Amino acid sequence: MILPYLLRLLCLCFASFFVLNAAAGLIVRFSAKSAIRFAESRSPNAAARFLLILRLLPFALATLFVSALCVPSYLWLEPGATAERVGITCAILGILGAATWSVSIARTIRSLRASMRYSWLCRSVGHESRQPAGPSSVFVVEPVVVLQEEAPILALSGLLRPRLLISRSVLRALSAEELDAALAHEHAHRTSRDNVKRLLILLAPDMIPFVRSLRLLEHSWSKFAEWAADDQATAGDSSRAVCLAAALVQVARMGSAPRLPFLSTSLLACDSDLSARVDRLLCADAMTLPHASKIRPGVRTAGLMLVGALAALLLAPSALSSVHELLEFLLR
Amino acid sequence: MIRFLKNRIHRGASPSQSLALGTLEFELMEILWSNGQSSVRDVVPKLSRPLAYTTVMTTLDRLFKKGLLDRHKSDRAFVYSPSFSHQEWERRRAGNLVAGFLSGPNPSRELLLSCLLDAVGEHDATLLDDLEKKIRNRRKELLRQGQP
Repeated sequence: MILPYLLRLLCLCFASFFVLNAAAGLIVRFSAKSAIRFAESRSPNAAARFLLILRLLPFALATLFVSALCVPSYLWLEPGATAERVGITCAILGILGAATWSVSIARTIRSLRASMRYSWLCRSVGHESRQPAGPSSVFVVEPVVVLQEEAPILALSGLLRPRLLISRSVLRALSAEELDAALAHEHAHRTSRDNVKRLLILLAPDMIPFVRSLRLLEHSWSKFAEWAADDQATAGDSSRAVCLAAALVQVARMGSAPRLPFLSTSLLACDSDLSARVDRLLCADAMTLPHASKIRPGVRTAGLMLVGALAALLLAPSALSSVHELLEFLLR
Repeated sequence: MIRFLKNRIHRGASPSQSLALGTLEFELMEILWSNGQSSVRDVVPKLSRPLAYTTVMTTLDRLFKKGLLDRHKSDRAFVYSPSFSHQEWERRRAGNLVAGFLSGPNPSRELLLSCLLDAVGEHDATLLDDLEKKIRNRRKELLRQGQP
């Protein structure tokens, strides 16, 4: 197949992205169980951060390689205005790469639209207030949309300005302290921008189109994100932890909540984890203060230096010519 | 050859029949699931009640014919091992049960679904009761310690 200069670049970019993303994805996939075991030994906040980085690593590495090495080496070293033959393997890999991107972009757009539609619907059906009408004297720093719903809804929906959605049935069922703890839990999701992280997970292409092979990591990240929000909401206070546990059970008793869009977090995000969450909240020893395990400055500096050294090595002219040779090999 | 064919015919019994186990059969399966490969001589002392060697041998042979065990000869005696894990057996059993119901007329399908929903609902309610009890106990504990 003979392709012009820019189409060849596009094909090469997609093909190299697919190969790198699949290779790194495979490594992450096979180390997922060990990584989760390691994460379990850390604080929930650190565990969630670690798992998210691991989930996004193949995508980030592949994107970095393509944008920092493939494109510059091609533009710099490939003679322009020539039409060259592209091998069938490269073409197939390019198509697969384009397909993985298309699938991830399509599902991101679908989720964004669903989330926006849901937020708009909630705002039009419910009424927005700064103070939830109910038995609580809870302080609320963000606007809350109160829904005239019997279904138990207590969720944070939206990306840039996420809104707290509460159904009147939840307001009625929870005591002031329970509501306070539950709202603090949602506030913790807002401050840690969990909905934006969900968007990044959606956007990160899979190894193979239509196969979500890193679901295990995503599920574990979701669990630790909930635990981290629990920790932040209770701030190491045992009685507050009991109130949050009571709120969780109370909301669970009200029946199953309607299915929320992917780009939203709710108090009972994963029902299967309820028992573990309540047990954790009731066991004061297991609770850790938020941000208890921060990365030490020395480790951070060493990491930055390593990244800098790698970048310098990769961007050296000899590295670019090596990459160009590799691309030529792939093209054939 | 005749014995081999007989075994194959026996092992081809309907899945729902082969997965239904009697008390002794289940006990033997549990021993094999926990110990892995075992001969009749290994299994007999691990039983909860004393049983004759031949009874155990016959039961293991029956389990082999049902397709639940694999076996190979070692020093003139058969060594048995489970054909699949406990979890897999449970999964197949549940699958067979559901498939049996779903292959029936409409009312039995609805009955199955309603029974399943009831069972899940009851399980959830029990779980939530347990969790509430734990919360009450923890509250009492905190009160005793002087926290509100």
